[in-house]
Amino acid sequence: MAVLTSSSQNLQVHRFPQDYYIDSLRWLPQLSAFHRHIILAAFDSESSTSSLQILNSSNSSSNTPELTFQSSLTTPSRITSLTTSHNPNKPLIAASTFSGSLLLYTADLVNGSLEFVDSVDEKGFHLGRINGIDVSENGSEFVSVGEDGRINWVSFVGGGLSTRKVFDSNGLVSYGAVKWASPVEFVSGGLGFGLQWWDQRRPGGPVSQFKANWTRGTTSGIVHSIDIHPSRKHTCLAGGSSGTVFAWDLRWQQQPIMLSGVGTSDLSALSPLESDVWEVQYDNYTTSSNYRNMSESRVLPAMICSEDGILAVIEQGEEPVELLAEPCAINSFDIDRQNPSEIVCSLEWESIAILTRS
Amino acid sequence: MPGLTSEPDDLAMVPVSLETENQPVVNYPLRHGLKSPIHRLSFSWACGNTLRVSVFRKPQSETADGEGEAGGRVVEVKLSNSGDEEVDAARWRRMAYSSVTPFALLQSRKHSLSAASRMSLDIPPYKAEWWEHVIEYSKEISSLLSDQKPPPKSIIEDAKSVVNEIAAPVCLKAAWELLEIFYIDKQSQSWIPERLLDWLADYNSLFSGTLPTIHSKLVDFQQELVGVQVVEDDPNYWDAMSSALAVGWLETVVKLLRLHGSYRFDQLSSREAVYLFYRVPKSITLCVFCLRDLTTGCTAMSDDKVDFLVLFVSHCSSLASKNGLVEAVAVLISKMPRMRPSLREDNLGECYKTKPDFMKAWEKWRTQISKLDCSSYWLQCDHRQTREGLKNLIQIMLGNPTVLSNATFNWMELFISHFLYVRPFTAGLESMHNSAKKCMQVKPASIPHKLFGLILGILGENTEVVLAECSRSFGPWMMAHAVELLTAGSTHAEILLHEEHSKLGGVSIEELHRLVYAQVLSSHALTWQIAPIYLTSCIKQGIRLLENLLYKQPVQHSQILLKSIEICRLYELDTINSNIMRIAGVHHWKHGRKGSGVFWLQQARDEFRLNRIAKQLFDFVGKSVSDEGFKQWEGLIELLGSESRTAGGLEFLNKYRDFRRSLLQVHGDTPTDAARNAAEALVSLMKNPSTPQRFWLPLLYDSLKLLMWQERPLVNVSQTQLLLNKLQELSMARLRPDFVEADLPSDALSSVRLALATNLGRAILEE
Repeated sequence: MAVLTSSSQNLQVHRFPQDYYIDSLRWLPQLSAFHRHIILAAFDSESSTSSLQILNSSNSSSNTPELTFQSSLTTPSRITSLTTSHNPNKPLIAASTFSGSLLLYTADLVNGSLEFVDSVDEKGFHLGRINGIDVSENGSEFVSVGEDGRINWVSFVGGGLSTRKVFDSNGLVSYGAVKWASPVEFVSGGLGFGLQWWDQRRPGGPVSQFKANWTRGTTSGIVHSIDIHPSRKHTCLAGGSSGTVFAWDLRWQQQPIMLSGVGTSDLSALSPLESDVWEVQYDNYTTSSNYRNMSESRVLPAMICSEDGILAVIEQGEEPVELLAEPCAINSFDIDRQNPSEIVCSLEWESIAILTRS
Repeated sequence: MPGLTSEPDDLAMVPVSLETENQPVVNYPLRHGLKSPIHRLSFSWACGNTLRVSVFRKPQSETADGEGEAGGRVVEVKLSNSGDEEVDAARWRRMAYSSVTPFALLQSRKHSLSAASRMSLDIPPYKAEWWEHVIEYSKEISSLLSDQKPPPKSIIEDAKSVVNEIAAPVCLKAAWELLEIFYIDKQSQSWIPERLLDWLADYNSLFSGTLPTIHSKLVDFQQELVGVQVVEDDPNYWDAMSSALAVGWLETVVKLLRLHGSYRFDQLSSREAVYLFYRVPKSITLCVFCLRDLTTGCTAMSDDKVDFLVLFVSHCSSLASKNGLVEAVAVLISKMPRMRPSLREDNLGECYKTKPDFMKAWEKWRTQISKLDCSSYWLQCDHRQTREGLKNLIQIMLGNPTVLSNATFNWMELFISHFLYVRPFTAGLESMHNSAKKCMQVKPASIPHKLFGLILGILGENTEVVLAECSRSFGPWMMAHAVELLTAGSTHAEILLHEEHSKLGGVSIEELHRLVYAQVLSSHALTWQIAPIYLTSCIKQGIRLLENLLYKQPVQHSQILLKSIEICRLYELDTINSNIMRIAGVHHWKHGRKGSGVFWLQQARDEFRLNRIAKQLFDFVGKSVSDEGFKQWEGLIELLGSESRTAGGLEFLNKYRDFRRSLLQVHGDTPTDAARNAAEALVSLMKNPSTPQRFWLPLLYDSLKLLMWQERPLVNVSQTQLLLNKLQELSMARLRPDFVEADLPSDALSSVRLALATNLGRAILEE
């Protein structure tokens, strides 16, 4: 346990060593103020098995959270991406796997148990690793992208899953991440810091494409994670190789807004990191007055986690605020939607950290 | 073709015992799912401890019944130890993870210090600084060896709990602390016996598995204690106390003594105390207050009070004398002089920092004991067990060798008891070693514990033995990390460990152990990524082994690939970096992920392979770059960008796409300017040497509408001549045997030729 004090806020960090590697983790919707659940994708290297687990996080005494194991279900293959719908009663949990299948579960928050709903793993779905999935706001539409260059739209209707192929590049392009922008639009990202905007009203290919060319002369990279803020659907935030984080505004397509990255000479002083950014999420933990004052053209503050062990909040034109600096990589994190002061992240060295900002 | 299978079914756990010579060979069935007969087997090491077994059947032509079955399979077998180690795998990994930071920090400090002091750490200010760093390192490592939190202390203390169970101790930590006591902690050099005593108190339970120990004795007695009504009648009660006293667990003895029946209220009422008051001489009235202190269990008494007490005891009645004797012994025990700066929490005794003070106090304490021993009032104590038991405790404090030997169970305990009561002024490793050897003769251990070997090696000042014991009993982790303690603590060890051996390929023992540990780390899928930290601290062979490690990582797993690239970036291994990216590129390409293949080859700047795969890619393009299918290519072409430097022969695709785009915009009613642009694009494509020959005819055929533009010719004379030359070249090439015919109508060539000829005529006329 450590208490760090950064410039403006108090931070409490609690670390919980586990006995397995954590591929991904997410908060589940909050049931009560004292009981929260975390869903995580675990990989046990001894038995080569992977599983989804629900942990209960409770603030029992003296503000020290405790993690207790609730339930677990073995998954047929290792999990690559995990996403949850924010339905407070019975949240849906979708997981994509190395072997190219999509698994759907529901969580019972009262008992802390997991229940298998359906899966898609037919031949035409994905070949090999699915790199990213996302669930729509209403919790019934999923989109998945894979390294095989396929994009699939999966609908959850009548208790089962049905799939529709959006695009198949036959391996000419590999995708690394995906995020819904609206009920009919989503953004995919992948090699060469490329982003593609898809609109289901105009099928057949991406409506708009972005290929970063600021890395001219240096090597290019991969987009690992994308986020889109519900209030600014025209701006897409992406994070990837070499500590690169940028925002792509559809209204000014050719000029990305660089937030962090090694290759950019003018910003390198600000860049808190040098290696892969594994996950980006807009950070809603800002005082409301600040939030409203923020000009329309400015990118909202975002949280990132990286291979070099940094968990930080970055803001356009400001010094980044480091929340954690670990000796090992931070693989994934999640900000609690209902209570954005709470963050959970998974560390490469088989442990979980829970951060509380106050 | 045998395919690599990675379903969990095929991963069998096979236990491997370290001591194979004593055990019969065990067969483990391998599930490969192939019908016999098996034609050929091939073994190779995969990543880490995984053995890859390739099983081949006879080629299908030779066997009749092999229809539709795989010709072979690859099975991965994971080898692991049988799991009887003290530290389980998950805990071991946690230990490996958390020792990385202290180790790396110490190495970097060593570097900066030796840079500042020009390669010599022996100059005083640097030496002192280095020393502090090593102490910090040792403390950090020691703390991570017991990561379990101690159980919460209960608020109501259980009077009958004698043995304090702290978090399960581990041999590794015990061994580390031994090294710390003898090699690092210079401040405690003068009170090593007391440190050993604390050490034994912490780790005595470790020996219980193989040897009889005082700890196990006390644990047994504690269980018995719950059912016992009158403890002083139980001989085990007195035995337990004399054993605990022998190894200096004073607080346990005092606690047990207080369970003695004479403290019970029904036996010692206030009336009794008043009665006593009248019996004692006026001069020692103070004693009454002592007595009041005693009955309330207070032991904070001055030396004078102790003297009075001893006198007082001899004036007491039978009952009071019993209580008085018990209390007198308890007080004497809790007043035992200790040669140490401070006591640990809950421990008893009086601390003395300097030797003269300690010796003076010791003599005085001994005199008090002798006085009590000779007191005539022992005769009045009518309870035989109490009398004998207390006498026995006194004998221990007087250092009676026979009694000490009876009270202890192994040589280590006897050794400690000798420090305490026989030779309290022992100093220096040599005399300690002699004393240890004598104790071993008295109490030889049938099964020597691994920690005993280490202690003897340290006391004997024999670095080789210490190293051998550490390596044999505590494994590579210990060796890699403890070497720092040994080299800092002993010049002899430093020379021994840093000397380069030609027999070992020029590496020193220190480096050898780091390399071995790095190999252990490399053998596990989750710890391999911390091996580079240890490998890069090895000057001679580290980088070579790091290269091997990186090449062995499976590139098909993108997370591992990115990790390898990150490691290359950190340690500036540029050549390996581009090699890994090249391997990854080829892998992706072979598995049909053309985009990823091209991306990684571009990252590796591998012009050669990009040109090679360009040819294959163009085959694939063929007709698929038709008007509607072109969208598929967009992504890849975007990826390639327009720079020829990184795209190799693929640069053509970018121009081709631009051309197709402009061609698509050209219809019968488009203004001539747009059509002109398309024609320009065509000419520049045809001019470009990177445009593959096989695309010449399709390009021209697709552009027929440009060549036959109604309004005016779009291609001028010289351009038309260039196109005609290309066409001529193509006709010549068709004669060659390796020429690939484009998938076009048979009259394509002639219609292009006709169009070009017509255009030439129109162009000449216009000019």
